Amino acid sequence: MDVKFNNRDPVYVQVIRHFKEQIATGLFEPGQEIPSRRELANQLKINPNTAQRAYKEMEEQGLIFTEGNVHSRITKDEHVLKMVREELILEAVDAFVHSVRSINVPLHEALNLVKNNYEKE
Amino acid sequence: MSRFLKLVNFEFNRFWKLYMVLMGVTILSQLTGVIVVAQTYVNQANKAIYKELMPMREFIVQNGKLSFHNITQTLWFLGPIGICLVVLSIYVFFIWYRDWLGKNTFIYRLLMLPTARIHVYLAKAVTILLVILGLVALQLVLLPIENQLFIRLVPNDFRTNLSLFEIIEDPYLAILFPHTFREFILYYLGGMAAVLVVFTAILFERSFRIKGVFWGILYSAASILICLAPILVNEIFLGKYFYPMEVFFMELVTGLIVLSGAIWTGNILIKKKVRV
Amino acid sequence: MIEVKEVTKKFGRKNVLNGVSFTAEKGKITCLIGINGVGKTTIMKAIMALTPIDSGEILINGRKIHKGSYEKITFIPDAITMLPQMRISEAFTFMADFYDCWNPARASELLHFFKLKESDRISELSKGNTAKVNLLLGLAMDVDYVLMDEPFSGIDIFSREQIAEVFTSHLIENRGVIITTHEINDIEHLIDKVVLLDNGVVLKEFDTEEVREREGKSVIDVMREVYQA
Repeated sequence: MDVKFNNRDPVYVQVIRHFKEQIATGLFEPGQEIPSRRELANQLKINPNTAQRAYKEMEEQGLIFTEGNVHSRITKDEHVLKMVREELILEAVDAFVHSVRSINVPLHEALNLVKNNYEKE
Repeated sequence: MSRFLKLVNFEFNRFWKLYMVLMGVTILSQLTGVIVVAQTYVNQANKAIYKELMPMREFIVQNGKLSFHNITQTLWFLGPIGICLVVLSIYVFFIWYRDWLGKNTFIYRLLMLPTARIHVYLAKAVTILLVILGLVALQLVLLPIENQLFIRLVPNDFRTNLSLFEIIEDPYLAILFPHTFREFILYYLGGMAAVLVVFTAILFERSFRIKGVFWGILYSAASILICLAPILVNEIFLGKYFYPMEVFFMELVTGLIVLSGAIWTGNILIKKKVRV
Repeated sequence: MIEVKEVTKKFGRKNVLNGVSFTAEKGKITCLIGINGVGKTTIMKAIMALTPIDSGEILINGRKIHKGSYEKITFIPDAITMLPQMRISEAFTFMADFYDCWNPARASELLHFFKLKESDRISELSKGNTAKVNLLLGLAMDVDYVLMDEPFSGIDIFSREQIAEVFTSHLIENRGVIITTHEINDIEHLIDKVVLLDNGVVLKEFDTEEVREREGKSVIDVMREVYQA
């Protein structure tokens, strides 16, 4: 795992986002065991308190769950998983719309370009 | 082992190499001294008696018999004692300053030990005391050995035999080996008080730096004055009003006051005022 | 918690600390940042009672520092606090002899992590390795608080990386850490709290995640605002 953090968003938020991306792309499968807080801190080069905070937040959002007190796993809840995916798509679309609008590109032109580029890639 | 004893042990070990050198130099120099002095005398006697055909009796009348005192007054014998004294005097300062000097600031560690800081002070003091007592003990062991060597080297007729007690009646050695319990207490208590006053003066300097030098000197002067007060008052103002025994007890009291004053002041300084 | 309250300190006529107050909590990494002056190191020394303060108060877990505190809090200055002629093993023995909180298992773990040998003599170590041993001696103590003075300064980049890794490990888990630095870049993600000092006063004390979350600012953004105002 290698994450480039930016300095202006809370690190724990960036960690959560990283998890959501992994879930949405299927790199983390439902029910998969995830690193412990310690391991995560070490892997992402963040301090253990931040890792702890990110996990706590993700647990509250239902992204992960902890059985007993050993390891945490990615949720198996289909609904949550779907939401994660939608959230990321919406975010990407929002960002796209925002930048396209700011340079006054008409919607149909933008959509055509999107279609062509998407198929090329 | 308590932390205090560990500290003493640690401080003592730090002196160990130099200590070995000092003891080695003392042993070597004094034994050489015995041999050189004895051989010179015996050679002289041989020359006079066998070559110049001087009667033995006349040689002895002219040159005197050789006694161990002839040895104890040579540089061979007193030199290493002097060296030890000088080294120890310097070490009284060095035992503190080396913890601050250089880039390895060991004083941080010493002051951050989970023990009362006065233990650091006392451990250094006890180390100095042990070192001194050790050297005195070495001398005490060395003297009979040197005397035996002396007896072997100089024929019976040419030497005056001295007992160990007679040997240490030498005025210089009498300071190391006081003859009476009273003198012993006076010398060693005085010596320890002096070491502790210097320690506390050093802590003044380490606490207040340049200003501390001034305080340290003032403090030392006051300590010396208190220490000598009974003698001074008795001699100058009272015209020797008190008996020597009375002066001794007064000295004992002022000595103890200065000694405990040094520890008390040192405790405050090392606990609250010292800086790294 | 370490509470520094209205601490003042003069060196000669110069006010080095001019009423400094801040707190550092257990389980958080607090970073003291200052543009100029010697204030940061002085604060650390003052917390450890290695230099007297003129006024104010410093409390550790609600109490003034006393001899037992040195089992709960430790200070890693920028120079090694062991005798140069010692081998690392001898330094370990010394620590074990004097501290109940010395954790030999952790010491060997760190030794292994830093790729050092017990038989190494301190005086023969490189600058980076000396810094690591220095850090190791502090971190192998089971204390609540660790104070580190410029752990990243004057050492090579790989040693720096290795030391930074300490901050992401269990070695500082649940501990309160205070660290001074003038190189914030390397560790911006690692610190929980920042105390900005200048000319002996605290200009701002803030939680890094909070400032990112509420104001969308990086630590350097805030520093720019505060110091260039």
